[in-house]
Amino acid sequence: MSAVITRRTVLAAGTASLLAAPWVARAQANTLRIGMQSILSGPIALLGTSSRNALMMEQDRINAAGGFLGRQIEIVYRDSKGQPQEAARIARELVNSSGCELLIDAEASSASFAVQEVVRSLDVACIHTNSETSSLTADPKIRAPTAFRVARQGVHDAVAGSIYLAEYASAKKLNKWATCSPDYAYGRDTTAQYLQFFKQFKPDLEVITEAWPKLGQPDFTEVITKLIQAKPQALFTLLYAGDLSAFVNQGNIYALFAQMAVATPNVDYPVLAAIKNLPAGIQSATRYLETFPDTPANKEWGQAYFKKWNERPTNWSWQNTVAMQFYEQAIKKANALGGKALAAALTGMKINTPFGVDGTITMRDDHTTIGYAIGWGQTIPKEPFIVDVKAADWGKIIELETEWKKQQKYI
Amino acid sequence: MDLHALGACLTTSACVVTQTTSGLIVGMLLFLVAAGVTLIFGVLKIVNFAHGTFYMLGGYVAYTALGVTDSYMLAVLAGALSMALFGVVFERALISRVYGSNVLMQLLICYAVVLIFDDLVKIVWGPEFHAMGMPQAFQVPPLFIAGGVVPPFYAVLIGIAALIAIVLGVGLSTTRLGKTVRAAAINAQMVSALGVNTTLLFAIVFAVGGGLAGLAGALAAPVRSLSPGMGFSVLIESFIVTVIGGMGSIAGALASALLIGLVRGFGTIGFPQFTDGLIYIVMIAILLLRPQGLFGRRL
Amino acid sequence: MKSNGRSGTRETAIAAVALLIVLVVPFVHRSPAFEDFVIRLSAMALFATSLNLLVGNTGMVSFGHGMFYGLGAYAFALMMQMTELSLPVAAMLAVLFTTLAALCVGAICVRLSTDYFAFITLAFQMLIYSVIISWQSLTGGDQGLRGGLPRREIFGFDLASQLHLYQCCAVVAVLGLLALRHISASPFGQTLRMIRDNESRTGFLGVVLWRARLWAFTIAGGFAGLGGVLAALFVSGAYPELADWPNSGQAIFAVMLGGINSFLGPVLGAAMLLALNDVVARVTEYQGLVLGIVILIFALGLRRGVLDFFRVAWSKDSQ
Repeated sequence: MSAVITRRTVLAAGTASLLAAPWVARAQANTLRIGMQSILSGPIALLGTSSRNALMMEQDRINAAGGFLGRQIEIVYRDSKGQPQEAARIARELVNSSGCELLIDAEASSASFAVQEVVRSLDVACIHTNSETSSLTADPKIRAPTAFRVARQGVHDAVAGSIYLAEYASAKKLNKWATCSPDYAYGRDTTAQYLQFFKQFKPDLEVITEAWPKLGQPDFTEVITKLIQAKPQALFTLLYAGDLSAFVNQGNIYALFAQMAVATPNVDYPVLAAIKNLPAGIQSATRYLETFPDTPANKEWGQAYFKKWNERPTNWSWQNTVAMQFYEQAIKKANALGGKALAAALTGMKINTPFGVDGTITMRDDHTTIGYAIGWGQTIPKEPFIVDVKAADWGKIIELETEWKKQQKYI
Repeated sequence: MDLHALGACLTTSACVVTQTTSGLIVGMLLFLVAAGVTLIFGVLKIVNFAHGTFYMLGGYVAYTALGVTDSYMLAVLAGALSMALFGVVFERALISRVYGSNVLMQLLICYAVVLIFDDLVKIVWGPEFHAMGMPQAFQVPPLFIAGGVVPPFYAVLIGIAALIAIVLGVGLSTTRLGKTVRAAAINAQMVSALGVNTTLLFAIVFAVGGGLAGLAGALAAPVRSLSPGMGFSVLIESFIVTVIGGMGSIAGALASALLIGLVRGFGTIGFPQFTDGLIYIVMIAILLLRPQGLFGRRL
Repeated sequence: MKSNGRSGTRETAIAAVALLIVLVVPFVHRSPAFEDFVIRLSAMALFATSLNLLVGNTGMVSFGHGMFYGLGAYAFALMMQMTELSLPVAAMLAVLFTTLAALCVGAICVRLSTDYFAFITLAFQMLIYSVIISWQSLTGGDQGLRGGLPRREIFGFDLASQLHLYQCCAVVAVLGLLALRHISASPFGQTLRMIRDNESRTGFLGVVLWRARLWAFTIAGGFAGLGGVLAALFVSGAYPELADWPNSGQAIFAVMLGGINSFLGPVLGAAMLLALNDVVARVTEYQGLVLGIVILIFALGLRRGVLDFFRVAWSKDSQ
């Protein structure tokens, strides 16, 4: 009998300690903890790791300069695997039990919406650094009082790209287009946005076929042959990262790039580094490019990143860097860390940064950034990979964005 | 849904030929992976949920081997042989401990292996994706056959896959080893009682199954992206193939892989945003009307 | 095996004591992390225990149980967003809807034998998942239902308050588990175990096998839907991941880790899995590596779930 009790006690104690482990409070030093969550595993782990790399560099820089409000900062990293329910849990855990006083939400789209719902109930400042879905901040019903976005945005990209592509298509007399985008929210919504503006600038544009491969689909053969069948003059694609690389490799063996012009906003350094036979002459936007804006500060940051991590920065890297720069300035200005105080300081704030098209980026009243570098050029197989970059006209972007927001009944 | 486009495609020979050939290509690569799943299940009654991991590792090993040897052929061999070896280790170290226990225990062990190796790949090769690049020999313009487009690289892949289908089919039905394997599939205990070393036999089956998955991963590496976790979608697809074809039937795997390839080839024209749903509906219909699959024996 | 009347009273008493303890904790010490954990555990515990009604009780291995968890979450979240129904009504309708869905899916699936049953449930899950993804106008596609759930007050309970949500989830979970316990201890539950142990003999006894299995499948689906409702409350929305394959996998691991032959096994398994996930996420980004190794240790070392392991050890001990 006593043996039974022993076992029972052992079992109970074991279970209790296992259950208690997650919320054993940690001793709090005077360090200021900043919670960062992202996708750090699986096929798009690069999103998280290249964000984290940039943040580690920022942490070193800020601590060397004395930290925030005299406190050294420590960024706490969490992997949500991109799952919304896990993202929601992590956001709560970072604030409630890990003692984080600021949040960097480096999640991709759907998880960032889940994080925003948590932030709404917590009165903590949060900056979304990787979600490009416009409605996150544009829709007043979804926007949260203390959540901001420091990232490029779908509708900005669509306007800038469409203006560039309309000029390009007119000059080359390309009227028949095909689209090929990943079959999920980003791919569908952004393709629709591009086409809407594209048709506005080039009314005789005709979309003769659409292909919708799955995200992470290993084989694009049937999609490629479908596109070749349709004989378009040009192809617009929103595939990115590994999918874009596979698409280019599989398209190459069908000589797809000799049969139609190709335009994509998504050629960035990792794609450039991975694809061995990149076709020349793809029209592409700059996600992050050391040579655009062509300033010493931008070049210096890109080189420093490369030197430290032995890989090139991504679009996500600069966005997270700028988020920390915004926090730095806002905390100085507000002299506080609370959500409401920081929200007031961030709204309308303009900072100097190498990633702005004119050396500055502004946080607009609707909690999203403007003035960051967007440009389009064409690819070449060697450095600097994208040449003849034309900067987008931000005046025009904002004009059309406002029109779009009215259509969506956001304003 | 775009039934109009589908109708238009079905009435033009160029479209039918091109989408059929691309369906063949998709199907044959699928067959290479699924052949291993179905072989292992047929003989050992083990559902190998870790099969996608073999495919992934085969691709990564080939990627590294290409960097070292600069020969695509050696890279493919390295991918296939290393996974054959890994298959034996996997069977001896883990799977052999759960023969006869229920399918959930097998699932648990395989899933643990998937989790572990996805992370190990990330540690060794990094989280970013890699592309192997097309071997020099295949950087040639595509061939045009009867109005359809066939790249030489794919022609070679189809040839290899077809060869393997034949070798497996003939090997299983005529060689002594093949006959023993088929006998073991029906009654392993009896085969063991007749003096055959079933331990060795089971290890060989895993070596062949793993090797085939590794081969598929390595063969496809020039045109597909390598990333941690890439085995998952391949695993799901090869399950569908196995179930539709009949679990344990090589001919069934071949037929259903081609069927899936064709559904994809024409689905992308008629139902561009519901191709996957279409495939699951086919799978459910088959399971209901003919649970043992197209070519399977009733269990 | 067990005299139903007396053990029923005992179990109700145990459940009441457990519930009381859980409800008292916040008055002694408020810990948001602990409360979050209990909320998530209540959803997961219902989900895993309902799966075990199939796996452990009836010997039906379903790979697609997550579809009902997801359907429950979506049905509930959609009703909250699109109608003015009060929360308990929406929750009950969501569970009813899920139960009906389980009845329909079950009617097609239950006649298939073990391996095929596993695969057809998996196929149905994937079909429902791809419908959720494709039907964007209703479900929001892969981005899920966004914009949060309207938190209507019920009987002075405001579920936007974490404490109230915690209390509500704890009560629902304990009542749900008690109901499941009652079902599994009932004559019907005994029949299911007979089917598991020897289906032909049970058939000879005059039990219509497919009908009993269909009942089990339908009930299990309904309780998984209830778990889904709690999950939707926790994340304030519904996401396709809730109905996806890996989520079914989570429930299977909870059942296997905790033990399929003990009623509370899946609850313990769910708690272990959640705690493991939370702890490992803090320490390393290589969660898969750690989780994989832990699973291997349990699967190869104990060869059965923790609670089953202790029960076996226990009975050996008492001899």
